[in-house]
Order: sequence, then C-alpha cells, then structure tokens
Amino acid sequence: MKHEFKLLLKQRSMVALLLLSLALTALSLLNGWQNIQHIQAQISHAQHEEAQRKQDFVHLHQHEGSLDAGEVGYYVFHHAYHQPAEWSFIALGNRLVTPYVQRIRLLGLQGQLYDGESHHPEYVMLGSFDYAFWLVFFSPLLCIALLHDLKASEHQAQRLLFLQSLATSPKHFWFKRALTRALLITATFTLPVLLFAVIHTLSVLPLLQVLAISLLYILFWTILCAAFSLRARALNASFNALALASAWLLCCVVLPNLAQLWLHQQFPLQDGSQIALQHRQLVHGAWDLPKADTLEPFYALYPQWQHSAPVTDRFHWKWYFAFQHMADVRLQAQVTAREQSLLQRDQATQQLGLLLPSIWVQRSLENVAQSNVTHLLAHRQHITAFHSQLRHAIYPALFDEKPFTVEAFRQLPVFDSQHTHE
Amino acid sequence: MNLTPLWTIACNEWRRLWHARVPALLLTVLVTLWLIAALAAHHHWQDHARTVAEVTQRSQQDWQSQPARHPHRVSHYGDFVAKPLHPLSVIEPGILDQSGHLVYLEAHRLNSANFNPATEATSLGRFPLMTPAMIVQWWMPLFLIMMAYHTVTAEKVTGTLAFMRGNGTPGWQIAVGKWLALFLPLLLLLAIQAVLTWLWSRGSDQLALRLTAMLLAQIFYIAGWCLLVVAVSWHSRQLHGALLTLLLCWVCICIIFPRGLANLAQVLHPTQPRAEAEYHAEVKLKTIGDSHNPNDPHFAAFKASLLKQYAVTRIEDLPVNYNGLLMQEGERLTTEVYREQQALHDQQLARQNASIRLWCWLTPALALQYVQMASSGNDLAHHQAFISQAENRRYQLIEYLNSIHSHKVVHADDKNTRVSAEFWQQAPRPAVTLAPMSVSQPSLQASFLILLGWLLLPGAFLFKVSQRI
Repeated sequence: MKHEFKLLLKQRSMVALLLLSLALTALSLLNGWQNIQHIQAQISHAQHEEAQRKQDFVHLHQHEGSLDAGEVGYYVFHHAYHQPAEWSFIALGNRLVTPYVQRIRLLGLQGQLYDGESHHPEYVMLGSFDYAFWLVFFSPLLCIALLHDLKASEHQAQRLLFLQSLATSPKHFWFKRALTRALLITATFTLPVLLFAVIHTLSVLPLLQVLAISLLYILFWTILCAAFSLRARALNASFNALALASAWLLCCVVLPNLAQLWLHQQFPLQDGSQIALQHRQLVHGAWDLPKADTLEPFYALYPQWQHSAPVTDRFHWKWYFAFQHMADVRLQAQVTAREQSLLQRDQATQQLGLLLPSIWVQRSLENVAQSNVTHLLAHRQHITAFHSQLRHAIYPALFDEKPFTVEAFRQLPVFDSQHTHE
Repeated sequence: MNLTPLWTIACNEWRRLWHARVPALLLTVLVTLWLIAALAAHHHWQDHARTVAEVTQRSQQDWQSQPARHPHRVSHYGDFVAKPLHPLSVIEPGILDQSGHLVYLEAHRLNSANFNPATEATSLGRFPLMTPAMIVQWWMPLFLIMMAYHTVTAEKVTGTLAFMRGNGTPGWQIAVGKWLALFLPLLLLLAIQAVLTWLWSRGSDQLALRLTAMLLAQIFYIAGWCLLVVAVSWHSRQLHGALLTLLLCWVCICIIFPRGLANLAQVLHPTQPRAEAEYHAEVKLKTIGDSHNPNDPHFAAFKASLLKQYAVTRIEDLPVNYNGLLMQEGERLTTEVYREQQALHDQQLARQNASIRLWCWLTPALALQYVQMASSGNDLAHHQAFISQAENRRYQLIEYLNSIHSHKVVHADDKNTRVSAEFWQQAPRPAVTLAPMSVSQPSLQASFLILLGWLLLPGAFLFKVSQRI
C-alpha cells in the first residue's frame, strides 16, 4: 500500500489533479457557507427590524391603549422566515429561489404565499456551486481520470505481463492499486468536509450522513471504473476514457433529464398562476356579493362567532377579513391537490434515486440540508399554521367588536423561525 | 497559392474518421441527444406557452366580465400580465423557469414577477437542463474532443506528420486542413439546426436577426473548439495526454467557470431581499406624503393649490371629485418611489452582471449562452424590459381609473357609486410584447468580443505549434 501511494504521488499531474480537487471541494463548501451566512444575516436583520416596526406601529396607531383590530390585520406585516438548517450549506437546493423572508398579513394567504424573491435569475439558472453539485458531477470524473488506465498504462509501458507474473496474486495487486486511488479521491472530498465540521463545530449525525453518502457514491464509481478498466481486453486507455465518460454523461445529465420529462408527464401540476387568478376573483368578487353570502359560510366554519352583530354598513372589517379567509378556504382543495402532486413528484424522484446513484446522492444531500421541495412544502404549511394562529388571535376583537389592546398586540404570535422540518 | 493540399488533407481525415467507426457512432449519438433535447425543450416550451395563453385569456375574460364597480375597487382588482415568449425559446429557454412569468398589476403596489417553476422543482431540477442550445454549448465540444483528440497526435506517433512535412507541406496547411475536416461537418449540423428552427418559428418577431446572431455565435464557438482540439492534439506527445488535457479544458470552460463566476458574483454583490426593499419603499412613501394623514404637509399643500386653481374654498365645491385627484397624486408618488426601488434592484443585478463579464473571457461557453439567451428573448435584459412594460401598463391603467374616479364619481356620494362596466371594457390595456433584441446589446457586444477572442487565442496557439514537427 505504501509503495502504491508513493508511486501515485510521484506523478506530478496526479498530485496537481488531487490538489485541484481538494481546493475546489473547499471552495464549494465555502461558497455554500457564504450563501447561507448571507441568508442568516438577512434573517436576523429582518427579525430585529420586525420587532422595531411593530413597536412603531403601536406608537403611531394606538388611541388610549387600544388599537383597531382591522387596522392591525391590514397594516401590520409579520415576517415568515425560511431559516436554513445547520447543514444547509452542503446543498443549497431550492433555497436559492425561495424567499427567506416573507411578509405576511391577515389578508388571504393564497395571494401572499407565492411571492417570489428578487434574485438574479441568470445566477439561479446557472446553478449553485455547492458541495452536492461538486460531488455529483466531479467525483465520477476524478474516478475516471485516475482509474481508467489501470491495466492500459502498464500495458503501454510494457510492464503488464511482467507485473502479472511477478505478483503472487494479481487480483490482490490490482485491488490494492484501485483501493489507493479510491482512498485518495475519497480523501479529497471528505477531508475538507471533516475540517469544516470541526472548525464550525457542526453536529455529528448529519456529518456522518454526508460522509457516508460521499463514500458510497465514490465507491460506486470506483467499482464501475475499476471493473471496466480491469476487464480482460481493457488495453486501450483512450477507449476506456471515452466509454466511462459516456457513462458519466448518461448518469449525470441524460437520464436525469429524461426522468424529469417522465415525471412531468406522469404527475402534471396545475400552474400556480391559476390559483392566483382564482384567488383574486374570489376576493374581489366578494365586494359585489351580499354580505350574507360571505358571512354565512364563514360562520359555519366558525360557529363561535355566529352571534356577532350583523353587518349593516357598507364596510366592516370583520366582513372584510371573513371574505379574505373564505377565498383561501374555497381554494383549499386545489392547493392540496397541488401539494399532493408535488409530493408525488418527490416520491417518484426518490424511487428513481434507487436506480440512479446521481439522483440518489443529490436528493439525500438535499435531505440533510433540508432544502428539498418537501421542506418548502413544510415551510408553507408552517406559514399557513402561523397565519391561522394570527387570525385566531385577532378574530375575538373583530367579531366581538372589542377594542384590541396594546397588550394583546404584544401577545400576538411571532413566527417560530427555529422550527425544524421533521 | 495552391489550396488543393488542404482538401486532400481534409478528405483524408474524413476517410480516417469514417473507417474508425467510433466517430460515426458518436455523431449518431450526438444527433440522438439533439433530438431528445429538442423533444424535451419543445415539451417545456409548450407548457409555458399554454400557461401564458391561459393566463392571458383568463385575465382578459375576468377583466371584461367585471360588473359595475367603483373605480378604486377596479384598480385594486388589478390586472394580470403574462410574459410573452419567443418561439426560439425552444432552442434556449434561458431564465424562463427561474424568472417567474406572471405579474399582478395593482394600484399603489409594484409586484414582481411570480410563479417560477424552479421554486417547486424536485432534486431532478438541479441537474442541468438538456436543450438544443446546451447540445451546442456542451455536448458538441465534448463529442468533438472524443472524436478528434488524436487527429494530429496519431500522425505524430506513426510518423506520418514528419513525412508530410518532409514532403514540403507547410505546417499551416496541415493545420487548416485538419481544422476544416473537423469544422465543416459540425457547421453542417449547425446550419441544419438553424434551418429547422427557421422553418419552425417562421414569422416570429425579429427572427432573421435573432437567428443570425445565434448561429454566428455558435459558429464562432465551435470553430474555436475545433482550433483548440487541433492545437492540443498537435502539442501533445501522447494520445492519452491529448485526451486528458482536452477533457480538463472542457470541464473548466463548460461547467466549473460558468457556475463559479455566477456564484462569485452573488457572493461579492448580494441582492437585497424583496421584503426589505418593499419595506423601505413604504417608509420612503410615508416621509414624502401620507394621503391618509389629514395634517400631512405634502397633501395639505396639494389641497391648497387645488382649491386655488378652481377658486373655491371647500373641497366639496370642486367641480371634480377630490378623492380621485388625491388618488392620482398618491399614485404619482408611489409610482415614483417604486420605480426608484426597481431601478435600485436593477442596479444590483447590473453590478453582478458586470462582475461576471469581467471574468467571462475565461469561458466562451458562458458568452455563447448569453448570446443564445438574448436571441431567444430569455435573458435578464428582456425580463427587465418586460417588467418595465408591465409597470407602464399598470400606471396607464390606474391613471385612467383615477381619472374616471375624478370625473365620473360625485364626491358627495363617492363610496356608494358604481360606474358602468363599459368604462372597464374600454380601459387602456396595451398588449405586452416581447422587447426588441436591442435591449440586450451590452451583453451581446461583450459576448461577441469574447467569442472573437476565443477564435484568436486557440488560433494563435495552433499557428505556433504547427511550426513544430
């Protein structure tokens, strides 16, 4: 083994390649970290601001210790934070696109939930340079570069027969040779991760998961490359390189694309814009309807308020918030259906991952990083729950037509950003 | 000057490629990949086109079927605009999935484009999308490398190169001959793709210009790769070394650098989150003038000047509806602030772009992608043009509604008035059209410059190595 390492590290191009890989792994980790740090900083800034802004609101709008519940619902924005997990830097996933701070008020949620983030679209299109990308795309290439000419290089140097006659067990000899290379490749990927985890004292379980995933993926490619380049007639190094590069192409680009195509065909998804259009129609249509058309179904959902004083004026906040909520309720079935198809898509992706290692690695790392579409859906659920909490906190003041005290305002729920999606 | 040796060399090269079987196989695979990509991209495009058509139709229908309403209600009811698509998006969808394709136009709000499929993509969405443009940008060079990495190295190893040089064939003729042999078949493929695209998207906006720009950039790019392949092949002593060097170049140029540059730009010049931008706009508005505050100095002055203009003492005596005018003034202010905010955001993006462009010469693949995105109308410039068009439409529409509010609604009975639906049906809602290609001029210029450099650099390298034996 020692000699194998020595032999390998004597080649200058090998050392250069391994160092390059090491440096780029570190870079991918740093880049992911930097992105997450930016998100964290923005979130804590927004958290600080949120408290400040709410105080300003009280200061401006209070009349003798109480507030108008309707104004609180309409004018006060609550922040919902899409807090990154500890290991999110490993795979940025859709955190690049989803807004990490969203402003929510008591109006219909479906009109607010899908607001996009103002990122640079070309940047998102090019994709992130994170560890997941680096591992999925480059560990195979490194394996190919180091392992495709195991036999062929010896053949070219006219040492092959000599070596095979000399070794007591050729199998053992080739195994050792392949193993040293695989170990070096693994090291270039896992050492930076380990170092990173130690420096930032990250939790151990995700670290083990990431290491295991990396190890398995590199093992897969090592076995594939070694098997291919050690077969009986593997004497043409260039042919090996071409064939293995084609396998890489198939595994990392062509098949995932075909899978995506199949997925979209199999699980069609209603475009989100349809929900937005209907939501607008429902919310604004309500202005032209008799008040009872809104309030009766609303009281059916919330019988505790059915004895609230009838709305006789042209406008009343409680009617206003009732129709905002009813629009959400009417769209609930469609929203759930969309969520279901998204979950189905994710399930199918997971199953495809069992067939295709590249997909499996990407999805597993995104699971560790909590940046998959399932986590987005969980986050939306979380926002929905928060929105309901808010509504339930303000409804008593609205429907009992009581003053909304400053004390009650201070007691309003705040989005629990430490919530983890499990 | 006798040019026949060029053709002899090229023809010999073709014969060799043909007899080797593998190149022909690779070419077939490339065409198959192109077909898969075209299929996938077409499917993708159709999805988008259907969404855009549905949204446009539905939003039109919703608008037209509005009942009699108060004008201010209509201005909050708002209007939806979908982003128009160019048929060339089939070749290069660009930022189609990432940018969002729907804008909600509403009174005193500047909404950004929402609903991008990228947000809801599963892990499969993180793999690079296969499109015809991608085939040219990534796979054509890769297959070229696989087919031709040994083109000169093999001649060197077998000694034919020295023999040819000994016969008096100048190095540059061999180089050009080899280059032609590699370039012409690919040129043919590019031309076929262009013709097919032209047939498919006939009659679309600025097609000749867009397609020419795209084709020209693709030709430069592929020609550059052919030069690089011949040069590296000439430079290398061993077949294997040539292959590995070229593959390394490919990985850097096509995959590492584009992503790396974009990430670098994001880290160096991060964008402000939208929630913050919205809040700052609101704060700014409050300091300029708060129409809800009766003591606000800006609106007090506005009221005074209005009373003076009509020579009355009370707003109730005005011949027009004061609330409508108030809305108009408010809209003017908010629009100013929001446009400022938008300009600020555009500036942030421009800073990122500048930082990418500074290093773009490292990767002609990105330059090619910029040209392809600009030609298919799916780059940032086109998107920004769409946003600003939508914003203009919004302002025009709200202005119209506010003027109806001022002139058709009597102040005394303001809140209870409904204005006939006919007015909504006649409202100005100019169609949002695809911006002309000239909006992307800066990125086109930079990209073509880089692509020209990409021809010169490997060209010079090839010229230099071809002096050797």
